[in-house]
Amino acid sequence: MTFDQPLMASIEQLFTQHMAVLTIIAMGLTTYLTRIIGYLALRKRRLNPRVERVMEVVPGCVLIAVIAPVIFSGRFSDMLAVAITLLATLRLSLLPTVIIAIVSTGLLRYWLG
Amino acid sequence: MTDPSSNDVHLIAADSAEQTITDSIDDTPLNQRSELLRGVTTALPMTLGFIPFALVLGAQAVQQGFTVLQVPLMTGVNFAGGSEFTAISLWTSPPHLLLIVAMTFLVNSRHIIMGAALVPFMRHLSKKQSLPLLFFMCDEAWAMGITDCQKRNTMRLSVPFYLGVAACLYSSWVIFTGIGAAVGPLIGDVEQYGFDMAFTAVFLVLLKGMWRGVSRCWPWLVSLVVAGVLYHLLPGAWYVAGGTLAGIIAALIWGKH
Repeated sequence: MTFDQPLMASIEQLFTQHMAVLTIIAMGLTTYLTRIIGYLALRKRRLNPRVERVMEVVPGCVLIAVIAPVIFSGRFSDMLAVAITLLATLRLSLLPTVIIAIVSTGLLRYWLG
Repeated sequence: MTDPSSNDVHLIAADSAEQTITDSIDDTPLNQRSELLRGVTTALPMTLGFIPFALVLGAQAVQQGFTVLQVPLMTGVNFAGGSEFTAISLWTSPPHLLLIVAMTFLVNSRHIIMGAALVPFMRHLSKKQSLPLLFFMCDEAWAMGITDCQKRNTMRLSVPFYLGVAACLYSSWVIFTGIGAAVGPLIGDVEQYGFDMAFTAVFLVLLKGMWRGVSRCWPWLVSLVVAGVLYHLLPGAWYVAGGTLAGIIAALIWGKH
């Protein structure tokens, strides 16, 4: 038995789009849950301060793990650009930081490969 | 500071009696419309700061396989930038639902603390009133709501003020991420020009905002190093979960010292 190639492709496409929308809705529900848990829990009691201190640090752990491959990319031009961006972060606000990041990365890749 | 149990009594007691008591705590009785307007004007400068984030997010999302409509769907349903950037960086077609939900929960776990911190300011509201308000509790709306209460020397969150702030931030976030998604493809392959580094820059700025000194944020370094090593050892996006967990475990084990 052979399958119709375009049909298979469109079924796959449909599955992908359904999964995308499902994932987005699951994200939304998860985020809303994080927004109400603390409120619902603390109407009665309070959080262990040790747990609170650990949780404070979690978002940073996630964000830094996400960008770790860029920081440890091994590509000299990109690592230099990250260093420049980090310096910009310390001194400037978001918009100029982003512009410096884009321009320095583009130029360094052009010059250094 | 209002005592919660006496507050409940006030709600049942005669309105006029309640009014005089709360007036002595609040500085002035609040006019709904002017409060809403005050919220909007307070949030406006912050809204301008949202726009570059939003445009970059929309453009990145489309690069990673989002359709243009799915971008405002995500930012409208989720409304939490950090988790949206994370989801986009982990996006595949089809996306890995469980991984993205788990990372969304981890990135947004700070909301649990924020929601808990908001409780004393919402004692005058019922659960039914509070739960919809919490949908809009992003970092900025949360911070502005509490700062405003402290400025007015009250423990009662001004709901129209908060809604004004939320409306401003929410609508600009959804609209400009949508615009970013629509115009992003016109720029072409963003990687070629270094536009992909915008993503790293945004994350570094977010991290700077979360920075509380080495004594508290040292687990970040554990996450960074472990994620970097795992990235070179493992296929796929598992380095994110691995690096994050390493940081949390380190904080749990050595957090006390």
